[in-house]
Amino acid sequence: MLIELALRNLARTKVRSTLAIIGIIIGVMAISSIGIFGESLKAVILENFKDVANEVIITPNYVHGYTSIDARTVKKIESIPFAELVIPVKSESALVECKEKKTYATVYGMDVRKTKELFELEKGTYKGCLVGSKIAEFFKLRVGSRITIAGREFRVSGIIKEGARFDINPNYAVILPLRDFDRIFSEEYSMIIVKVESIDKIEAFKEAVNKIVNRKESKVSVFEMKIIIERIKRVFEKVTLFLMAIAGVSLLVAGISILNIMLMSTIERTKEIGLMRAIGAYRETILKLFLTEALILGLIGSVVGGALSLLGGYSIDMLILKTAKYAFTPSSILYVLIGITFGILTALISAMYPAWKASKLEPIEALRYE
Amino acid sequence: MIELIDVVKKYRIGVHEVIALNGVSLSVRDGEFVAIMGPSGSGKSTLLHLIGCLDKPTSGKVLIDGLDTSKLSDRELTELRRDKIGFVFQQYYLIPTLTALENVELPMVFKGISKEKRRSRAEELLELVGLKGKKDRKPNELSGGEQQRVAIARALANEPSILLCDEPTGNLDTKSGKVVMEIIKRLNVEEGVTVVLVTHDPSLKVYADRVIGIRDGRIVNAD
Repeated sequence: MLIELALRNLARTKVRSTLAIIGIIIGVMAISSIGIFGESLKAVILENFKDVANEVIITPNYVHGYTSIDARTVKKIESIPFAELVIPVKSESALVECKEKKTYATVYGMDVRKTKELFELEKGTYKGCLVGSKIAEFFKLRVGSRITIAGREFRVSGIIKEGARFDINPNYAVILPLRDFDRIFSEEYSMIIVKVESIDKIEAFKEAVNKIVNRKESKVSVFEMKIIIERIKRVFEKVTLFLMAIAGVSLLVAGISILNIMLMSTIERTKEIGLMRAIGAYRETILKLFLTEALILGLIGSVVGGALSLLGGYSIDMLILKTAKYAFTPSSILYVLIGITFGILTALISAMYPAWKASKLEPIEALRYE
Repeated sequence: MIELIDVVKKYRIGVHEVIALNGVSLSVRDGEFVAIMGPSGSGKSTLLHLIGCLDKPTSGKVLIDGLDTSKLSDRELTELRRDKIGFVFQQYYLIPTLTALENVELPMVFKGISKEKRRSRAEELLELVGLKGKKDRKPNELSGGEQQRVAIARALANEPSILLCDEPTGNLDTKSGKVVMEIIKRLNVEEGVTVVLVTHDPSLKVYADRVIGIRDGRIVNAD
């Protein structure tokens, strides 16, 4: 009956109630749509890094005086079961020349068969000397061009497609097969790139490295790509939160409009409240009645707003990201639910003061109110 | 049994203190029909509000069935009003959004009576006041007299022992007023409901067992 009464009270002031509901709809829509967009933005960014998520980079532990990784350590790491692919890498900075031009570049030495796991080629084949796109551009190199690296001449066999990695910058890299690298330099390994079976095996892999390699002395440090990705994720979560907070202002405005109409309602219905108190309504009953009215406004507004926010999220995604493939994911539903929760809470919180005020009315004064 | 012992009620309007009741003592026996008469501003409505536990006296005591109302909490007073007292006001005070039937149900809703029970009880009561056929009408679809009869039905919802009527015929034409008064009288006679009627209309004297005059906050002729 209380719900029935609340519904009829809202129906009494249809325009007012509708406006309040629209306010909540807009507020919830803003919050949830922005939430969905933020989540999509994060997903689009992370998509670029999904290949490196299970990668681990092992470097010498410089702090403990190690500047390189020896072949025995590489063997030990290769023996760890969770390592799906182990790519030991040597590197050295060297003068690279072609015709009249010269530049310093980082030269990497690695197993040719494994380079294709790290880089895509724009032209040519993996068998031989690979150069990054910026280097190729600088020297105007083509497949078959000759370049001199630290005094030795090589033929370019492939040009690496432009891309981004955290460990090796492919655009400025010169990559040689290990055999060729060893002919010029006498370096040991400077890092090992490891692809672990799956993300959840990374911890186990790290433990194994510490047990097998770092048992006596901490020779190497292990750096997970996952950490960088986690950071990016967190940054974008904060961005999303910030955007949602801005969108939340519209919900705040909706809340104030509910506060306003509820206050008007308590004043208009003063006599009615007095009557209800006179014929046996507790203060809490009056409180509940007003809160129920707000709850109904909040519920309708939030559910409609939540549903529309899927459309809103889709539109913003299409407009800014040019793709809506992340607009309808389980996390989008989460943002819809967050929006709905905030919508309902806003309505309830806004109604608290008017409801409390109504419940505090003395029956006789309320009845006498003109 | 209603007892008032040396009841004083003062109001403060701005800087002025108004004495609405100035040492009123009276008692009303169970099943009695008492009319309290006096000009407007005499304090008769205040007296009724004090009996109805809508207001508290500045000093003195109001006892309902031996219970000192000044010692009751707001919650207890609410329950007392709900269970023992029925109100009929001059302006009817029906809830405009509710039908006649629902208005009658309302005190039972507050008491937590089940839907079926309160529905059948409300129907009985509307039949009692002769409005069986209009149970689904909203107050604005009823005449003044009909609205007052709904208000009486509502006052009786929780089977109160006391019916307090504040100028129940004040807004009604003579014919409707008569119908309303006859219903009230019948309840008094047949159901044994104690009735306290406040009015300035001398023609209502005939319904009362006893008439109490009030003027300037004092009882002038308790006969």
